[in-house]
Amino acid sequence: MKPPPFLLSVTLLFWGWQSDLVLPGALMAVILESALVFRTRWDLSEDDFSKTWSFCSLVLLSAVVYSFTNNEGPSSFATMFDDLSASNQRTATVASARTAAQVIRWLPMIFFPFLAAQTFSTRESIPLTTLSLILQRRWRKAKQLGQPLPPARGFNVGYPYFCAALLSASFHPSEDTSFFWGFCALLMWVLWTQRSRRYGIAVWIVLLAAAGTAGYFGQRSMAGAQAYLTNHLSAQWLANFIRRADDPFQNRTSLGLVGRLKMSDSIVIRLQPETPKNVPAYLREASYRLYRGSTWYSGSSRDYIDSIAEEQPAPSGNWPLLSDKRTASRLNIACYLDGFDKGSPAGLLPLPSGTARLEKLAAYTVDRYAAGSVMAHGPGLVLFDAHYGPGATFDLPSGFGTVTNLRGRRLYEESGLGRFEPHGDWASSNDPPVFVYSYTNEDLAVTPLEAAALDAVVDELKLKGRDQSETLRVLQQFFDNQFKYSMWQSPPRSSNTNQTPLARFLLETRSGHCEYFATATVLLLRRVGIPARYATGYSVHEESGDGYVVRLSDAHAWTLVWDETHKVWNDFDTTPAIWVEAEKKNRSPLRWLKDAWSRFTFEFAKLRNGQGNIRGYLLWIIVPGMVLLLGQIVFRRGRKRRKDKKSDADFLAIWPGLDSDFYQLEKKIAARGVPRSDAEPLNLWLQRVEKSPGMETLREPLRELIKLHYRHRFDPHGLNAAEREKLKAETKRCLELLAQSRSGNS
Amino acid sequence: MIFFLHLLYRVYRLITWSTFWTKRRFTVAGQAMIGGMVVALFTGLDADSAVGYQAFMPLFVLMIVSLMFGFGFRTGFQIERHLPRVVTAGHPLTYRVSVKNLTRKNQRGLTIMEDLVDPRPTFKQWKTYKLDEDKHVRPFRFDKRNFRSPFKMATVKEARVPDLMPQQENDLAIELTPLRRGVVRFTGVTFARPDPMGIFRALRKQPLPQSLLVLPKRYAIPPIALPGSMKYQQGGVAMASHIGQSEEFVSLREYRRGDPPRHIHWRSWARIGKPIVKEFEDEFFVRHALVLDTFTTRPHSDAFEEAVSVAASFACTVLTQESLLDLLFVGPEAYCFTAGRGIAHADQMLEILASVQPAAGQTFDLLEQLVLNHSSTVSGCICVMLAWDATRKRFVEKLRALGLPVLVLVIRSPSETQPLDLGPMSDAPEKLIALEIGKIEEQLAGLR
Repeated sequence: MKPPPFLLSVTLLFWGWQSDLVLPGALMAVILESALVFRTRWDLSEDDFSKTWSFCSLVLLSAVVYSFTNNEGPSSFATMFDDLSASNQRTATVASARTAAQVIRWLPMIFFPFLAAQTFSTRESIPLTTLSLILQRRWRKAKQLGQPLPPARGFNVGYPYFCAALLSASFHPSEDTSFFWGFCALLMWVLWTQRSRRYGIAVWIVLLAAAGTAGYFGQRSMAGAQAYLTNHLSAQWLANFIRRADDPFQNRTSLGLVGRLKMSDSIVIRLQPETPKNVPAYLREASYRLYRGSTWYSGSSRDYIDSIAEEQPAPSGNWPLLSDKRTASRLNIACYLDGFDKGSPAGLLPLPSGTARLEKLAAYTVDRYAAGSVMAHGPGLVLFDAHYGPGATFDLPSGFGTVTNLRGRRLYEESGLGRFEPHGDWASSNDPPVFVYSYTNEDLAVTPLEAAALDAVVDELKLKGRDQSETLRVLQQFFDNQFKYSMWQSPPRSSNTNQTPLARFLLETRSGHCEYFATATVLLLRRVGIPARYATGYSVHEESGDGYVVRLSDAHAWTLVWDETHKVWNDFDTTPAIWVEAEKKNRSPLRWLKDAWSRFTFEFAKLRNGQGNIRGYLLWIIVPGMVLLLGQIVFRRGRKRRKDKKSDADFLAIWPGLDSDFYQLEKKIAARGVPRSDAEPLNLWLQRVEKSPGMETLREPLRELIKLHYRHRFDPHGLNAAEREKLKAETKRCLELLAQSRSGNS
Repeated sequence: MIFFLHLLYRVYRLITWSTFWTKRRFTVAGQAMIGGMVVALFTGLDADSAVGYQAFMPLFVLMIVSLMFGFGFRTGFQIERHLPRVVTAGHPLTYRVSVKNLTRKNQRGLTIMEDLVDPRPTFKQWKTYKLDEDKHVRPFRFDKRNFRSPFKMATVKEARVPDLMPQQENDLAIELTPLRRGVVRFTGVTFARPDPMGIFRALRKQPLPQSLLVLPKRYAIPPIALPGSMKYQQGGVAMASHIGQSEEFVSLREYRRGDPPRHIHWRSWARIGKPIVKEFEDEFFVRHALVLDTFTTRPHSDAFEEAVSVAASFACTVLTQESLLDLLFVGPEAYCFTAGRGIAHADQMLEILASVQPAAGQTFDLLEQLVLNHSSTVSGCICVMLAWDATRKRFVEKLRALGLPVLVLVIRSPSETQPLDLGPMSDAPEKLIALEIGKIEEQLAGLR
């Protein structure tokens, strides 16, 4: 079936409009309709169609590869295979879906050469063998075996292409009902050509109008149902229950977990300091204020998220976090964005304390959280320079909280809990309006559940009344001397089941991992009136080449202590330094192998995440490759002709009997004015020769000779040695006779 | 296992039925719309990134409207199908169907479809075929699989019924392609009326039972010198018709009891005074046995069909020469069918070959016995074999021991490349011919 005139061009225009590819759509439509003006048609063979199809398939494959790398497909799949968590699976699924959507959107462009080949060829239909590999194989085999070829079925590519173009046009976010109306119009066009002649046009129009109207209202109610489902039962909604590991708002600790904690020693961050050995001890991802149960929460810090504006001209890759701070050190950090948010990979950046500026960060957006974390949306892997130095941090000062709306402000004003006091750096952002106020200080909050155990330690150490530096020193000594680092937690004794894990740690076991130490330190400091926060991130200690590597097992928790004098937060770590050694003991003997693999995947990730110029290279590889292929197809005919000639020569060389001596004689006789034309049989030629003056004597010997020659040439058994000799001798005799007749004539 | 096969068989029946129903009920546009609805439904699952769901409702509503036109279709036609007596497998044929409109309305835009007997096999047949295919074709070798049903007898294209005024009669041509030998059975015809949009069709059946014999495919065989010589045939003239020197008598002798009165030589009787009869020369002519091997475990294999085709080709060729031919094969029982001048024609032999089925539950001995019983009357034997194993070699050896010239043709698949072991044919290797499936035509053409 052939589509009606102009249908495909209009469909292409519709596709271009819907997919924001108006120019390619219009161009293809013009090319297609130019067939009406240019009447030249090419006589394309099945082989040509097959090649064109292969070309389109290759373009499709290239498009898939390009789109997959463009949508962070490889990184999301690699991450998923590393860690098969629900969020990673979702990331991989989303990457696949985005790739598929993008490729489907390009389908009309990808398969246009095939449609054009049909349009500009002399054929109305294309044999199915050009598409089906199975059929192709059967045909090839049948040809090889000399069997009768299976029946060839043809098809017109017009309608399949039309359907593909409509599908492609539907792959864009819903904005209005333009697709609906366009689709209906094109559908009507097609159905007009298919309508039954049994009924009048009026019936057809009425029915289609009724169907269109009902379809419109049905479609609207379907969109409503869709929205309801999306909001209430979609996969995204379900995903809300799955909390990401790097959540700036809360951190579920392993406090109270019994048994050995297992940490992977895969490398997650690579550092390259500006000057060797000059690396910060910690890379912080987030800090938390409220401790409840075994979880740390960001408390009132969570209400404020500040989008950092990239320095112009974008994309400069420079993101200022603290605009007026001068920094002395620079650290190059490479890390993975493991999470997924708003349709792209996202993650908290591990940063040294006091980071004021990020450079060369190829992120889409960078958000600063009041909880002291920086969330970046970008490719799966980011490499950037962090400028840092001692002094101010972008954490909210001790005692400050945020509300982002007037209602919150009014509530606090009425309750008299806080006073509004815009805070320097944060007050500058006005969208949305931010009101920073001081109220009951969350940095001093202690849960009543832990109060007894904390008081017991405070009393034991006589911490009350000491100044801040003295308190820190005593606490450091206390944890160093009386506690030991352990990844193992024994089950509690049955009599003490009401005891919190922290109380058990402080009063009984006195052994635990960093989360215990950090939580205990924060709460002890708060108990004696020193504002403190719980920080999570990584400890940096392992050198690798001229840089450093950070493993997942280096994940660490420590304390931030508020320095009232300098108004800054300082790192304070009470976990015994032995923890690093303890972690090392758990390392696998095959770690070097894993590291080598990690290096390889990192370098590959660098390429695929656009940190190298692979995508640029990819285009440069794909485009000339495709041009070359197209050239092959277009100019193949000439090439084939040349090849055919050569193969003809080869063919003749092995053909028996071509060494016959008779040909010498034929040349001689031709030179005497009786040439044999290409299509003239030897017998007819011989008759002409006999009639030629002076060649009568040749008659009998030539007849004998031709018999022998024919046998030499065509008899499957050929001539035996004696007959071959005879052929030579007869030829010689004829040549002599010819020479004699010539001399006789002269 | 048997439960699983039963389940598969049910699925097979369901799929074939739904495909058949869909193709009959929906036009190509309708089928595309069903596909479109499925795609729209799937793309609609992610409404954030695709607006495909917007296409679902118009398609759905159109489909519903079309379905409403699928009822209330009444026809009144007088139909006559003009079929040839026989056709050959694989050769498409166009036959004429006369349709007369008996209603009072103009009939426009209708399509006619032939109804054939449901070609789907019984569970037993299907199981035999499937197990055999699985045994011989490796999994995932899709190019080797036979996607065409080995049970389907023919494909018939639907045809457009010309516009008919009330009481008007008109002819239309229908194209039928017989796919394999046997009998194509028609049960009736179905008239289809598409809805105004050309999506769904209302159907109306009209019984018109008829059958058509499909002869096996045949190959051209050059005139060949068949093995053997002329032999006395007891049937005499009746069997040989005009073959031999039957018109001349060679001597006279005294009448003996039982001589036919028409052989009496009246003039001699008058001269001598006692009855004298003419003595004719004995009737000698060539009579060949065409032995078809039907012993195969693969009833739907190409090899068996090719063997029948080769036998059919010989039947046609030999019977155009001056000879008799006995077709010997074993079906449910042993058969011998003689054709030749004055007895039966090649057509009748082809009709028999059109219905040959593999010998089920019989042993090769039966064929051997049948042929050996006939060996005294035939002057040569053409054996079309499905294999060249010890049993068959022994059979040929016995025939040769009886002094019977034998031509053996062995059908082989292209995968069997090793040369045939000559066995009993070692002294006449040119009379043992391997015919490779796919190249049979050219190999037969090379026969001398």
